[in-house]
Amino acid sequence: MINSRMISQIIGILLLIETTMILLCSAVALFYQGDDFTSFLATAGVTAAAGLSFYLFGAKAEKHLSRRDGYIIVGLSWIIVSLFGMLPFYFSGYIPNITDAFFETISGFSSTGSTILDNIEEFPHGLLFWRSMTQWIGGLGIIFFTIAVLPIFGIGGVQLFAAEATGPTHDKVHPRIGVTAKWIWSIYIGLTATEAILLTVGGMPIFDSICHSFATTGTGGYSTKQASIAYYNSNYIEYVIAIFMFLSGINFTLLLLFINKKFKKCFQDTELKFYIGSVLFFTLSIASILYYTEPMGFEESFRKSFFQVASLHTSTGFATADYMVWKPVAWALLTITMLIGACAGSTSGGMKCIRVSILFKSAKNEFKRIMHPNAVLPVRVNKEVVPNSLQTTVFAFSFVYCLLIVISTLFLMALDINFLDSFGVIVSSIGNMGPGLGTFGPANSWSALPNIAKWLCSFLMLVGRLELFTILLMFTPSFWKQG
Amino acid sequence: MKIIIAGAGAVGTHLAKLLSNEKQDIILMDENEEHLNTLSRNFDLMTVIGSPTSITNLKDVGVEDADLFIAVTPDESRNMTACMLATNLGARKTVARIDNFEYLLPKNKAFFQKLGVDSLIYPEMLAAKEIVSAMRMSWVRQWWEFCGGALVLVGVKIRENAEILNATLNELGKNRVPFHVVAIKRKKRTIIPQGTDKIMLYDIVYFTTTKKYIPYIRKITGKEDYGDVRNVMIMGGSRIAIRTAQYVPEYMRVKIIENDLERCNLLTEVLDDKVMILNGDGRDINLLYEEGIKNTEAFVAVTGNSETNILACLAAKRLGVRKTVAEVENIDYISMAESLDIGTVINKKKIAASHIYQMMLDADVSNVKCLTFANADVAEFSVKDGAKITKRKVKDLGLPKGTTIGGLIRDGEGVLVTGDTQIEKGDHVVVFCMSMMIKKIEKFFN
Repeated sequence: MINSRMISQIIGILLLIETTMILLCSAVALFYQGDDFTSFLATAGVTAAAGLSFYLFGAKAEKHLSRRDGYIIVGLSWIIVSLFGMLPFYFSGYIPNITDAFFETISGFSSTGSTILDNIEEFPHGLLFWRSMTQWIGGLGIIFFTIAVLPIFGIGGVQLFAAEATGPTHDKVHPRIGVTAKWIWSIYIGLTATEAILLTVGGMPIFDSICHSFATTGTGGYSTKQASIAYYNSNYIEYVIAIFMFLSGINFTLLLLFINKKFKKCFQDTELKFYIGSVLFFTLSIASILYYTEPMGFEESFRKSFFQVASLHTSTGFATADYMVWKPVAWALLTITMLIGACAGSTSGGMKCIRVSILFKSAKNEFKRIMHPNAVLPVRVNKEVVPNSLQTTVFAFSFVYCLLIVISTLFLMALDINFLDSFGVIVSSIGNMGPGLGTFGPANSWSALPNIAKWLCSFLMLVGRLELFTILLMFTPSFWKQG
Repeated sequence: MKIIIAGAGAVGTHLAKLLSNEKQDIILMDENEEHLNTLSRNFDLMTVIGSPTSITNLKDVGVEDADLFIAVTPDESRNMTACMLATNLGARKTVARIDNFEYLLPKNKAFFQKLGVDSLIYPEMLAAKEIVSAMRMSWVRQWWEFCGGALVLVGVKIRENAEILNATLNELGKNRVPFHVVAIKRKKRTIIPQGTDKIMLYDIVYFTTTKKYIPYIRKITGKEDYGDVRNVMIMGGSRIAIRTAQYVPEYMRVKIIENDLERCNLLTEVLDDKVMILNGDGRDINLLYEEGIKNTEAFVAVTGNSETNILACLAAKRLGVRKTVAEVENIDYISMAESLDIGTVINKKKIAASHIYQMMLDADVSNVKCLTFANADVAEFSVKDGAKITKRKVKDLGLPKGTTIGGLIRDGEGVLVTGDTQIEKGDHVVVFCMSMMIKKIEKFFN
C-alpha cells in the first residue's frame, strides 16, 4: 500500500521549507528595491497554502514509510518543489513561458546550470538570487537539507537519503543520519562562505560573489552575468572559482576526514586518486594543446585549461572562454570529462569517478581473464574487494546512462537538430553540466531549443541528478503493482 | 550515547534496532557484509564491516570514545577478547555474551572486571531461568522475583471462574488486599491501570505481592484446580533445553526429544541420567503418546524453528498438556502465539536485549525485566539519599502517566505500596512503566 497521507505530509513540509527560502529571496528583492518583490510574496503565499494543505491532508498519517513510498517521496518532491520554484519567474513576467520557467528552475535544482536566458543582466537581484539558491539547495539535495534541519523523517530518513544521495555506495560519517547531514551541510556552508569572502576580496561585488559561490559549491553554473566568469576578466577570480569547483567535486565525507586531519585515509581513497589524476591529465593535455595552437601564453593556457576542466569535470559549467572556438581535440577531451563527472557524495553530476574507476578495473580484469581463465580477479576499491552485486549495479547504471544518451540524442536529431548539438545538449543535461557543444556551447543559451526538447532536457536533468534509477523506477509497471 | 555492537546476529541486530529507535548512536560491526546490508539501509545506524578482535578495526569505529561496547558474536572467547581490547582502547563499559556457566559465578565477577569485561550475558541461561520459573508455577503466565524473592510479580490470565472478574481496582482496593495490580494486558494493548480500570475476561493481569499471599492470588483468579508440574517434555535439544534441564528443581522429571542422533549423543554427555533423551521427532504424535504425553504437565518447545514450536505447543495443548512454553524468535509472532493460548512465550533476543538495556541506565537499577507479554518495563531502583521520590508521599509525587510503583523492599522485607506510603532512602523500589519510559522515571531516584 502506498502511504499517500505520509507522502503528502512530507511534501507539505518540504513546501513549507521552500516557502521560507522564497521569503528570504523576497527580502533580497526588497533590499534591492526590485520589481520582483510582489511576485515572491505571491509565490510564498501560494506555496505556503499548498504546503499547509498537503501537510494537513497527511496530519494523521501512519508513521510508516515503505521502500516504495521513499522513492515516490524523493521523485515527487523534486518535481513539486521545482513546480513551485518556477513561480517567481513566471509571476514576475521575466520568463513568461511555463516551459522556460520550469526548465530554468529544474536546471537550477538539479544543479545543471543550463539557461534559456539571453538577458541575464536585466534580471532583478531577487530573481538572480533565487536562481543561484536553487542550485545551492539542489546541490546536496532538498531532502538532505530537510534531514539536517528538521528531525521529521525518523527512520525513513535513511531510505530517503539513500534514494537522493549520489554514488553507488553511501558512507555515513556518524551513526545518526541527522548528525551526518548536519556535518556535511556545515562543510558545504563553510566552503561557500570561504569562497564568497575570497571573491569579494578579489573585487567582485558582494551580491555577485554570494551568487557565484552558491553556483560553484552546488556545481550548478548559473552566473549573474551573460558572459559568465569571463565578464570579470580577473585571473584571481578565475583561480579561486576553479579551485572551489575542484573542491566541490570531492566527496564531502573525504573533506570532513581532511578537516579532521586524517590525511592518510583521505589520499588512499581510490576515487579521489582517480579524480585528481584525471583533472591533472586533462588540464595538462588541454593546456599544452592551447599553448601550441592558440595565441596564449604559458600561464593563460594553463589557467583557461584548468578552469574549463574543473568546470566541466565537476559538472559546474562556468565559462571563461568559448571552448567551441578551440581546436576540436580540446573540446573532445572536455566532453570526456563531462561524461565522467566528479566524485560520488559531492554535488557534481556525471557518471562519477568511482563508477568509471570500477568499470576500468573490471574491463582490465576481463583482459587478464582471457590469458588466465582460472584466475580469481577481484576489483578493489579502497583496498577492499567490491562485491559482485555492486559491480552489477555499476554496469547496469553505465548501460542505462549510455542508453539514455543514445536514445535522447536520436530524439533531438529527429527534431532536426544536428548531431553535435544534440549530443552536447543531452550529455550536458543528464550529467547536470550546463553548457553543451556546438551551437549550444558556452557562448549561447539554450533558448533556441524547441519546447519538447526543453521538456526532455528537464526530465533528463532530474533523472541524472537522482542517478537514474530513483526516477526511472517509477516508470516500471512492477513499481506500481500491489504487494 | 555511543554504543558499539559487535556481531550482527539475532541478538545484536535486535539490540541495534531497539537502541537506534531510542536515538542512540549505534555502530554495528560484523565481518560478514550480508548480515549488515539491509540494516544500514533501513535503520538509522552505522554499519561497519570489520572484525571485533582487530585493533585497527576497533580504532576505526572509534572505540576510544564509546560509552558501551557490546560483544554478541556467536563465539564466547571472541567476545571476551573483543571486550578486553575495547576496554584497553578506551571503551567505558563492556558487555560480552558468553556460553559458559562458570563465568557467571559471583566469585569470578571481579576477575573478569580486572580483565576488562564489565558484564556478562548468557541469553540461553536467562531463557532457561524463565522457562523453569514458568513451570514451577504452571498457573502463572509470568513470574519474576525481586530482591531474592521478597517481592514477586505474577502475570495471570483471567478466565470465567475468577473471583475478581469485572471488578474495578478501586473496589478491590477497599478490602486492603495484599496485592497491587501493576499492569493489564488486554488483547494487544498494555495498560498501566488506574483505580477506575476494570478487570475483564481474558485479561492477563500482573500482580505484585509477597510470597505469603501467592495462594490467595491463586484463589481469587480461580486457578486452584491447576496441578504442579512434575513431568516435563522438552522438544528440541538446543542450548536452552540443556540449560533448562540442568536448572529444573529436583522433583521434576525431564524428557528431551531431539531429531538429530548426533545431537542426542552430545546431550547425553552434558546431561546426567536424570534426564531421558529421546531420539525422534517431537511432531510425531504417536511418539508423544508412547512417551506419556498424557501424564505430562508441561511441554516446552525450544527448537530453532519458531513455527514448529508454536504448532507443537498447540498440538500438546490438544493432547491435554496444561502448561506449554514455546520459544518464538520471530518477534512479530509473539502476540500471535499469545492469542493462540500458548502459556509462556520465550524470546531469547528480547530477554538479552532488555538485560543489556538495563546496563545503559545510569541509576542503580539492578533489574530491568522486559515483560514479554506486555509492552511494559519493570525496573528496580535503589533510592539514594535526597532523591526526589523521598520528599513526598507516593500519591503527591506526580509520577508520569503510564507508570506505577509496584512495591518496595525495605530491610529485606517486601512492602506493598499505597498512595500514602512514604518512600525512604535505602528502599528498593519496583517501578512499572510503559516501554522505554524508564529514563523519565530515573530522575526521581537520583
